[in-house]
Amino acid sequence: MASADHPLDRIQRWMQAVMTHPTGVEGGIDSDEARQEIDVGLGELERVLTRSRSLSAADRLGVYCGAYYARLLECLREEFPTVVHALERELFDEFAVGYLQSYPSPSYTLNDLGANFPRYLAETCPADEDETGWAAFLIDLATLERTYSEVFDGPGVEGRELLTPERLSSIPPGQWPDARLVPAPDLRLLELRSPVHEYTRAVRREENPSIPTPAETLLAIHRREYVVRRHLINRTQHTLLNGLIAGDTVENAIGQSAEHAGDDLDAFAADLHGWFQTWAAEGFFQAVVLSD
Amino acid sequence: MRPPRFGLPDLGLGVGLRTPHFSHILRENPAVDWFEIISENFMDSGGRPRYVLEQVAERYPVVMHGVSLSVGSSDPLDREYLRKLKGLATAVDARWVSDHVCWTGVAGRNTHDLLPLPYNDATLAHVVARVRVVQDVLERPLILENPSSYVGFAASTMPEWEFVARLAEEADCGLLLDVNNVFVSAMNHDFDPVEYLQKVPHHRVVQFHLAGHTDCGTHRIDTHDGPVIDPVWDLYRLANRLTGGAATLLEWDANIPTFPEVHAEVLKAKRHLAGQAADPVSASVVRSAVTHTGAPNPIAHMVPEVA
Repeated sequence: MASADHPLDRIQRWMQAVMTHPTGVEGGIDSDEARQEIDVGLGELERVLTRSRSLSAADRLGVYCGAYYARLLECLREEFPTVVHALERELFDEFAVGYLQSYPSPSYTLNDLGANFPRYLAETCPADEDETGWAAFLIDLATLERTYSEVFDGPGVEGRELLTPERLSSIPPGQWPDARLVPAPDLRLLELRSPVHEYTRAVRREENPSIPTPAETLLAIHRREYVVRRHLINRTQHTLLNGLIAGDTVENAIGQSAEHAGDDLDAFAADLHGWFQTWAAEGFFQAVVLSD
Repeated sequence: MRPPRFGLPDLGLGVGLRTPHFSHILRENPAVDWFEIISENFMDSGGRPRYVLEQVAERYPVVMHGVSLSVGSSDPLDREYLRKLKGLATAVDARWVSDHVCWTGVAGRNTHDLLPLPYNDATLAHVVARVRVVQDVLERPLILENPSSYVGFAASTMPEWEFVARLAEEADCGLLLDVNNVFVSAMNHDFDPVEYLQKVPHHRVVQFHLAGHTDCGTHRIDTHDGPVIDPVWDLYRLANRLTGGAATLLEWDANIPTFPEVHAEVLKAKRHLAGQAADPVSASVVRSAVTHTGAPNPIAHMVPEVA
């Protein structure tokens, strides 16, 4: 490895500990994580790193310290533009720096960088925070933006044959109750505590929306021709789709959703046909599996 | 004995495939010789980026350039990553696969930076062994790029050019000679860029990189955010003369101008190789070059399209 005093693995763990320390070179060098790898102070840094004609060893190391957070914060700002808008950049960056310390990237791709950001916001939410308060809004906003990213670049159904409304209509009534629908892999359901999708849409239009009034907001999100689409759904539809995605039979999924349909079951039954037709037309399902 | 450059072709003048140019490329079919992709942006993609790549690969030669192989790390090689890399290379008929002489993280973490190694015999043996494994898995030569870097190690016992040259010979791999990185690191490490170009094994140079950078007075940062400056063109001319020429790729990763402007920048190579001065750069290119905040590359992240 690198030398008798500092083998490669120690140099690498030391350098990583220093450059990812949020307070910069001096704090990084003095951190426990760095000291347990190579125990040098700022004045002894040239035992590990050389100086150039123009820069000290510490200044050279500082390029990496500055770049680490600059690069990753830029990526997080791109993935969560409406969270940035809501928090404003300085406060967003504070959250993001905390996030990167709690959830440093283990992935080869920057596309995974923001995967745990909504979870981090939830974990750091004050214990006495109201479920409909500011923190809940931010968590839901981050959840929505992360979902958009995952649906945008995840597996989809473009170019594949889907379950069409016509195929749905052709299913013999006797086979319909036990049928199971195969969901498209891009179909996702979200339960949010305010209509943050309207907020994100307004921000993307470069408007300056107010924080939305809390209200249960259920969304079906999917992708069509490589563009992410979202549909506002009600609790009955959410329960029905949730059951279908989980692999329930049509009869069971409808049975569970009927609990939310109120007393007018005739109206509910009439709605069902239209919902299935609309969802099939939107490409929510790949196929139907009929029992023998 | 393998033929020079492993028998790989000189693809001409290429451009890095970047998200803001997707629509233009699909719509206009620009007369570009070839495209280079950031491998990690497409390895897991099931959405529009992968669709665009498949369309591009049908029309143009594609080369894969990675930023997370971390061939110099003391962590074990990521076999799942290599499997996906190989799968993508097959799917898009990649002409070759490249990455960097660097490490990107350790202890299971990825800093998403291209970090320098101490250049000594122990590190060399470590990296040579890993390059051989990578080549065995990929069943093709790995093409490695000289990094731009900002620190040197007290544990180094040889200059970078010697490390790169010995690595290429002992691991029997190819080289992606980033001329801008040579220029950037020459200032940062007080070495002679001409000597560097003279000493690397020329018959192993499969590809050149060109890019813009930021001069901070005391050091240079490899920002890929502007046009190629004349001293780098001068080095490029020398590198061409020494190696006999190789596929050339322009990287532009921040403050990215329109595709025609990026393409025009790499086409300047023809005039530089013919010994002519290039046209002055356009005003928008100059503006973009001076407004960037200056984080070293790579920054590579996809932004979703939402209806």
